[in-house]
Amino acid sequence: MHTTRYHLKDIILLALIGIIFGVIYYAGDFLYNGFTILLTPFGLGPMANDLTMGLWCMAGPLAAMLLQRPGAAFFGEFLGAAGEMFLGGQWGAANLISGFVQGIATELGFTFTGYRRYNWFSLTLTTLTATLVTFGWDWFRNGYAHFSGQLDLLLLGARFVSIFLFSGVLVKLISNLLVRAHVIKTVRS
Amino acid sequence: MNPSLKLFLVLIISVEVSFTSKLTVNLLLVAAGLILLLWTRPSGLTLTHLLLIPAIPAGALALTVGAFTPAHDWFFAAVLASRVYVYVLLGSAVTRTTPPLTLARSLEQNCHLPAKFAYGTLAAINLLPRIIRAVKTIKAAGQMRGVTLSFWSPRLYFKAILSAISWADQLAQAMESHGFVEDQPRSQAQVIPLTGRDWALGASALLLVQLALVALP
Amino acid sequence: MTQAIDLQKLTFSYQAGKPVLAIDQLTIPRGRLILFSGPSGSGKSTLLRLLAGLLPKYGGKLAPGARLNLTAGECGLMFQDPGLQFALDTPRHELEFTLENDRVPAGEIPARVTTALKAAGIEALADRQLATLSGGEQQRAALAVLLALDRPLLLLDEPFASLDVANRHQLMARLVDQVAAGKTVIIADHDLAGYRQYRPLVVAFDQGSARLLEAAAADQRLAAADRPVTIPARPTAAFAPALTGEDLRLAHGDQELLVQPTLALPKERITLLTGESGSGKSTFLSALARLSPYQGQLIYAGKELSRFSRRRWGRTVGLVFQHASDQFLNVTVGEELALSQRQGRQPYFTPTKLAAALDQLGLAGLEERVVYSLSGGQQKKLQLLVMLMMGQPVLLLDEPFAGLDPASVAAVKELINACQACQPATIVLVSHQLAGLAGWVDCHLHLTQRYFTDQGRVDHES
Repeated sequence: MHTTRYHLKDIILLALIGIIFGVIYYAGDFLYNGFTILLTPFGLGPMANDLTMGLWCMAGPLAAMLLQRPGAAFFGEFLGAAGEMFLGGQWGAANLISGFVQGIATELGFTFTGYRRYNWFSLTLTTLTATLVTFGWDWFRNGYAHFSGQLDLLLLGARFVSIFLFSGVLVKLISNLLVRAHVIKTVRS
Repeated sequence: MNPSLKLFLVLIISVEVSFTSKLTVNLLLVAAGLILLLWTRPSGLTLTHLLLIPAIPAGALALTVGAFTPAHDWFFAAVLASRVYVYVLLGSAVTRTTPPLTLARSLEQNCHLPAKFAYGTLAAINLLPRIIRAVKTIKAAGQMRGVTLSFWSPRLYFKAILSAISWADQLAQAMESHGFVEDQPRSQAQVIPLTGRDWALGASALLLVQLALVALP
Repeated sequence: MTQAIDLQKLTFSYQAGKPVLAIDQLTIPRGRLILFSGPSGSGKSTLLRLLAGLLPKYGGKLAPGARLNLTAGECGLMFQDPGLQFALDTPRHELEFTLENDRVPAGEIPARVTTALKAAGIEALADRQLATLSGGEQQRAALAVLLALDRPLLLLDEPFASLDVANRHQLMARLVDQVAAGKTVIIADHDLAGYRQYRPLVVAFDQGSARLLEAAAADQRLAAADRPVTIPARPTAAFAPALTGEDLRLAHGDQELLVQPTLALPKERITLLTGESGSGKSTFLSALARLSPYQGQLIYAGKELSRFSRRRWGRTVGLVFQHASDQFLNVTVGEELALSQRQGRQPYFTPTKLAAALDQLGLAGLEERVVYSLSGGQQKKLQLLVMLMMGQPVLLLDEPFAGLDPASVAAVKELINACQACQPATIVLVSHQLAGLAGWVDCHLHLTQRYFTDQGRVDHES
């Protein structure tokens, strides 16, 4: 049985990963605002949220691939959000709610595979759960329920593409490098 | 007010607001958040930042709902826009009145959060300047080899994660040599009180929001 | 006084069959100042961490049968990297955190914090953000934590690596006080310069073995380290400049490092920069690479540095980082070489010449190896090679010889000479290690009191 305990070192690492991703896609913030301004005149303003969602959901799957134990994805997202809360992010404590939702969203793919697979399959599954859970949350929070069915489908599609590309493909490419550098010891499949 | 209680209160209210559509309640909460925010005497720049940047998502949501949905529901558009401001203003009201260490101490003492989570996260937060410098260094190392690394480049993340692993290792060792032992009781330099007054304040604030949600249109 | 520290049959390894430390027997007296001396990678730091109980907990394996009459609880350890040893934001908070860990009753904490701050001489810094303090101030804060812990053994791992002279003296004075108070202080340092006056005992490390030196042998080593080395050099004005500076100012936090009215770095020559550690030489290189901010002007090819695009500047200036692993972008040695072959512009490296260079540097046949698993020396040599292959017109070298044995230093110098003969670059080099540099460098600037002084003499034939 793989370890399920979290030591101090793991906790620091999880929080660091969350914050590092935040620093790297700080550019994502501009991207988000830029997309929003660009898309709003076409009635697609909320789509910026969907298009950048993959970036916000990267830390979780990557933490899971790195530490390979229950809760890693959740902590990766949540501790990162807790860090950002104090690093001058405009959302303050509201970060924690998004971090919580995204943590659960990205954890589920690994839960459904019994925390035994850390490969393409579980990663793809996680991009699906992440898409559905975060979309479900926006259904209420961002009023997606009030949009036309057509727009919702479009947003759902955009969100899946973004999450699949960043939280799926890119995370897999990064973890491939980590595997080859012997940082991730074995990928159990 | 006790930091943990304050945090949970704001989180509960934020979640509640997400599932209800009462414009007046939202506006009241925005007003409350604004007062709390002004109480912390923010600089002009911070204030502008906090008020203007959320205007982008808020405006986009409102326009989409109001102008582009079949129902042209401008009332709901206003609800959504004000909701964004509830998150931002209440959220920053917490962070601006609570230093990270005080919140960590409160979570450790009042909520019995294991110290390793509280201090591990704080240690990571304090590395921010180094993280920013490391990302710059990785990008420069790339430029010097004719490679431009951006947020879609696996190698940028790969290198950053390698650094993070070594920092986490060194920081954990340093904390341990500063006497930290996981799951061992610690004493408290500063006791964060959780008084009956805190509970009363939290409960009445929550009750007030519930009443408002039921009573107001 | 308690009995001496005694180690028996201590064999420690990270990879099976490759012990980094193999000590049959070593006795370290208590109540003294002790220096662990030896080149980097010789096992000094490993032994400190073993004594402090951090190893093998944080990696590696201790062979069975080892005996050590010391418990981890007797030791406090201070680290080389000042910025990576605090969990909290200010010295006061870190001290409180430490005392809480030791379960000091709340009532006693404020008094003990004040005592420790005073003993380390940092009362004025108590509530400053650690991240904004200089390396020296951070190390004094780390010392305050060590003093607050009040352990009988103080272990310090290369504590002066980023400290200027003033801070170093201050810190040493406090440590000598501790020895006088009956504590044992062990410092690991690859550079013995400046220690002789404190009359330390010296434990010499060599490829994992360690022995306590006799007084005479120790003194000889300490004296040798203090002997000045002269590097013959010519004035920078004798050459056409490649890079010039005007009213240049560099700072770290609120500490001013450099105030230089004029500066010229000679074109296609090798210029050596020396100066006390922590004086700002590395910061100067990183300013040239546009990784650190500076005030004033730095001009290259008639243009201010900031007018170049990042991309263009990367093709113009190569910085060989102090930490070799910062340079690598790939996983294996082969991939690193392939990238530099693809992007490099140094015509010297034809496939045959590259193979010869790999051979000369002892890197041949390692293509499949993961770069991060190479030894420190191999990483350094690979790093230098891949950057030489890039062939930038300006090449900045930050401690390129650190951790290299004399044969490797000679091989690296020869390779640089060959490249210079083929397509010369303006080379600026920061090095503590001066052995072998006489006659090789063209110019020499020495940084003291925030100013680079040209050490070149007209009458020297270089």
